[in-house]
Amino acid sequence: MSCAIRGGERRFALALFLPALLLLVITTALPLIYLVWTSFLRIDLSMPWLGGFAGLDNYQKLGNDPRFWNSLGLTLIYTGTTVVLQVVLGLSLALLVMQVKRGQAMLRIAAILPIVLAPVVAGLFWRSLVLAPDFGILDFITRWLGLGSYNWLGEPRLALASVIAIHTWQWTPFAFLVLLASLAALPPDIYEAARLDRANAWQRFWHITLPMLRPAIVIVVILRMVTALSAFAAIFAATGGGPGSATEILNLYAYRLSFTELSVGYGAAVATVLLAVTLAVAFLLFSFRRKK
Amino acid sequence: MKARNLVLLAIAVLMMLVWTFPVLWGLVTSLKTEKDVLAYPPSVIFEPTLRNYADVFRGSQSIVPNLISSVIVSGLTTLLTMILAIPAAYALSRLDLPFRKGAGFYVLATQMLPPVGLVIPYFLILRRIGWTDTYQGLVLVYLTFALPFAIWLLVSYFEEIPREMEEAALLDRAGRWRALWHVILPQAKGGIAVTVIFVFLNSWNEFLFAVVLGGNNVRPVTVAMFNFISLEQTQWARLAAAAMAGMAPVIILGLMAQKHIVKGLTVGAVKGGGRR
Amino acid sequence: MTAASVQMSGIVKKHGAVTALAGIDLEVRPGEFFSLLGPSGSGKTTTLRILAGLESVTEGRVLLSGKDVTNAEPGERDVAMVFQSYALYPHMTVSENISFPLRMIHEKKEEIENAVRDAAARVRIGHLLDRKPGQLSGGQQQRVALARAIVRKPALFLLDEPLSNLDAKLRLETRVELKRLQRALNVTAVYVTHDQEEALSLSDRLAVFMDGRIVQVGTPEEVFSKPATVDVAGFLGNPPMNLIPGGTEGFQSLKGPDVILGIRPSAVRIVDEGVHATVTMVEALGEEVYADLMVGELLVRARLREGERPAEKAQVRIHLDPTALHVFDKATGKRL
Repeated sequence: MSCAIRGGERRFALALFLPALLLLVITTALPLIYLVWTSFLRIDLSMPWLGGFAGLDNYQKLGNDPRFWNSLGLTLIYTGTTVVLQVVLGLSLALLVMQVKRGQAMLRIAAILPIVLAPVVAGLFWRSLVLAPDFGILDFITRWLGLGSYNWLGEPRLALASVIAIHTWQWTPFAFLVLLASLAALPPDIYEAARLDRANAWQRFWHITLPMLRPAIVIVVILRMVTALSAFAAIFAATGGGPGSATEILNLYAYRLSFTELSVGYGAAVATVLLAVTLAVAFLLFSFRRKK
Repeated sequence: MKARNLVLLAIAVLMMLVWTFPVLWGLVTSLKTEKDVLAYPPSVIFEPTLRNYADVFRGSQSIVPNLISSVIVSGLTTLLTMILAIPAAYALSRLDLPFRKGAGFYVLATQMLPPVGLVIPYFLILRRIGWTDTYQGLVLVYLTFALPFAIWLLVSYFEEIPREMEEAALLDRAGRWRALWHVILPQAKGGIAVTVIFVFLNSWNEFLFAVVLGGNNVRPVTVAMFNFISLEQTQWARLAAAAMAGMAPVIILGLMAQKHIVKGLTVGAVKGGGRR
Repeated sequence: MTAASVQMSGIVKKHGAVTALAGIDLEVRPGEFFSLLGPSGSGKTTTLRILAGLESVTEGRVLLSGKDVTNAEPGERDVAMVFQSYALYPHMTVSENISFPLRMIHEKKEEIENAVRDAAARVRIGHLLDRKPGQLSGGQQQRVALARAIVRKPALFLLDEPLSNLDAKLRLETRVELKRLQRALNVTAVYVTHDQEEALSLSDRLAVFMDGRIVQVGTPEEVFSKPATVDVAGFLGNPPMNLIPGGTEGFQSLKGPDVILGIRPSAVRIVDEGVHATVTMVEALGEEVYADLMVGELLVRARLREGERPAEKAQVRIHLDPTALHVFDKATGKRL
C-alpha cells in the first residue's frame, strides 16, 4: 500500500546520500574505467607520436615480461609474509601484555606512534637511521655483536627482508591493538569455567581464546591484506623498488613504468592486473567471512 | 613467579623501544650536526643544536610552504569529506535508503582500491584539464580515499545511538532535519571529532598522489622530505628535522585520539576496511 | 485539550514474508485508559508504533478523532509517547528534554517555561530540571519521559511498557500515579504491556493480542471472568486456569469429548468424595497456597483453603465447582 511515511523517509535518505554517492562514482568509477581503457592503448610519454589503440598488446606483453612475473611474485611474498608476521607477532604480544597488570596504557601509546607516522617517513627513518650502513643503528648492533656489517638495502635478499620488516614494524601495532582490545573484551567467567573443567593454559588458549578471537583475527587479516596490497610509500622511500627490481612489488612496478619509464599504457595494464588481484582477494575474504 | 614477571617486563620494555625507537632516534638525529650523524659508533652524547630546525624553517630549504600546502590540502579534504560524509553516513546507517546494501557495498569497495590504479588515470585526466599541481586537483583525488573511510567510520558511530532517539524526536514534532540536527548530531559529536582527526591524518600522510599529481605549487610535506635527498649527498640531520616538523601534527593528533584509534582502525571490524 | 478517539480498521502489517499483524480492528473511546496485552511477539508494540506513525501499515486505516492519519508523519498526529527505554536526549538537561516538543513548534518562551514547570511539578521532578539524564535514577528518568509526554498536552498518550525497567516496589507506586495522571489530564491513553496484573489493574478496557490478532476486547472483569478463547484462558490469571481436555479420565461426566474445560485453581476443591488425585508439590506463595495434583497423566492446580496442607505424595480426592467451569470448543478454541 502507499506509505507517505516511508516515502518521505526514502526521499530524505536519498537527498542525504546522493551527493556523496555521485561524487564517489565520479571520482572512482570513471577513473577506473579510464584506467582499463588506457591499458588497451599505447601511450608512451617519451614518444607521444606512437600513441594509438593497441588492443590486447599490453596484456600480451605482460605474459612475456619477466619483470612483471617477478613483481607479481614479490607482491604475493610481501603480502603473505607481512600479514602472517603481523598477526602472529600482534597476537603473541597481545597475549603477553594481557599478563602485564600495569603500564598497558604506556604500551598502547607507544603502539600508536608507528601507526600515525606517514609510511613515507617510516621508510625514510628506517633507511637512514636504522638500516644505513656505517651509521645506522642496526648495522651498529650487528657489528657490535660481531656479525659484521651488511648492506641492508643494497643486497637483493636483505632488501626484501628489510622492506618486509619496515611494513611489519609499522603495522604490527595495529594487529596488536585490535587483538588486545578483543582479548580484553572476552568474558572472564568462561576462563573460570574452563579452569573448573580442568583445561590447562594451552588448552584454554586453543579451545577458548583462539575460537573467540577468530572474528577479530579475520578482520585483522582482511585489513592488513588490503593495506599490504596498496603499500607503496615506505618501499619507495626505503629502496625505490631496488636494488634492481628486488623489492619492486606491483605497485612500484606500475608506478615506475608509468612515471619513470613513461610508458603509461603498459603501466595501466599492470595496474589493472593489480586491481583485479585486490578485488579478487577482497571478494574471497569477504565471502569466506560471510560463510562463517 | 618473579622471574616470569621480569621476563614479561623485559618484553614489554623491548616492545616500547622497538616501536618508539625510530621516532626518538629521529628526534635525536634532528638535534645533531651532519658530522655527528655520521660518527661511528653512533654518538649519544653530543652537543645538541637547533641549526637543522632553523634551516628547515627558513632560507632556501624551508619546508614552510610545504607545510602550508599540506594544511590546505588536508584541511580542504577534511572539510569537504565531512560535509558529504555526515549526511551520507546517517542515511546509510539509520534511514530506509533504497538499494542500501548495494550502496554500502560500493562505498566499502572503493575503500579497497589500490591507489596506483587511480593515480594513473588521474594523471592523464588532470593533465588534460590542467589540474595537476593544483589544490582542487589534489583535493578531488584525496576524496577518493577520505570519503569512503569517513562514511564507514561515521556509520559505526551513528549506529551506536539508540533508534528511539529519532522516534522520540519525530513524535516531538521535530521533523527529520531537526531530528538529525538537534538530537542525532549532538550525540555523535565524539565520533565526528574522531573522524575529522582520522581523515586529516590520512590526508596529511598521503604520498603517492601527492608525488605524482603535485608539483612546484602544491607540494605537501611528505613529498618535500625528498628535498634533502639527492644522489650526491643526503642531508640526514636536516631530513630528520624536516620529518619531525612534518610529523609533529599527526603525532599530536594521534596521541589525542589515542583511545579511539583502535575503533577508527577497525571500522572494518564491523563492516569494512581502512586503508592507508 | 480534547481527548482523542482511536479507530483502527483492517490493519495488516507484513515484514517481507512475516506477518506481524493479521488484520486488527480496534476502537478506543475518548478519555479511556486502554491496554494492549499479550505475550511478546504478539503484535501489541507494532500496533502502538503504527498508532504513533513510527511504522507504516501494509493495509488498513488509522483514524484519530475521526481524522485519517494512516499516512501522516508522527509529528502531525498530536500524539505523545513514553518509550520503554525512555529515549531521553542524553545531551540535553531535564528541562531542555521536557521543553523540546514545545520548542519544535516555536512556542513562546514564557509559555514554554510555564508549561515545563507545570509538567515537572505534576510528576514531582521540579528540583531536577538542570540535571542531565545520565545523572538521574531509573525512576527519575521515567518521570522525565512522562513530563516530556504530557507537557505538550497531547490528545493521545502512548505508553510502551513504561514500567518494565523499574524495580518491583517503584512499579506499583508509579502504576497508581500513572492512572491518576491520566484521569487528571483527561487524555486517552493506549498502554502496551505483557504484564497482565498491570493491564487488569490500570485499564478501563483492554485488548488481548495473540499471534498478530486481537482475540478479545473488554473490561478487565469481562476478560478475566469470560476468556474468549482457550489461549486467553491459559494466558490470564496467576497461576493460569487449568485446562482439561474433555473426556479425560475422571472427568468424563462433565462434558463431551469435543470440548476443553477450563477451571481456575480457586474452583478446584479437595473433598471427601470425588476424582482421585496425587499431590506432587505444595507451593506457598505468601498468602496463597497452591497444590499440584496429578489426575492420571494430567496436572491440575488447586488453590488450598486455610488449614488444608496435604503432604506431598498424599492421595486426595478433588471436585471441580461446576458453576465455575469455562467450556471451549476443542477444534476452534472458542468459548462455548
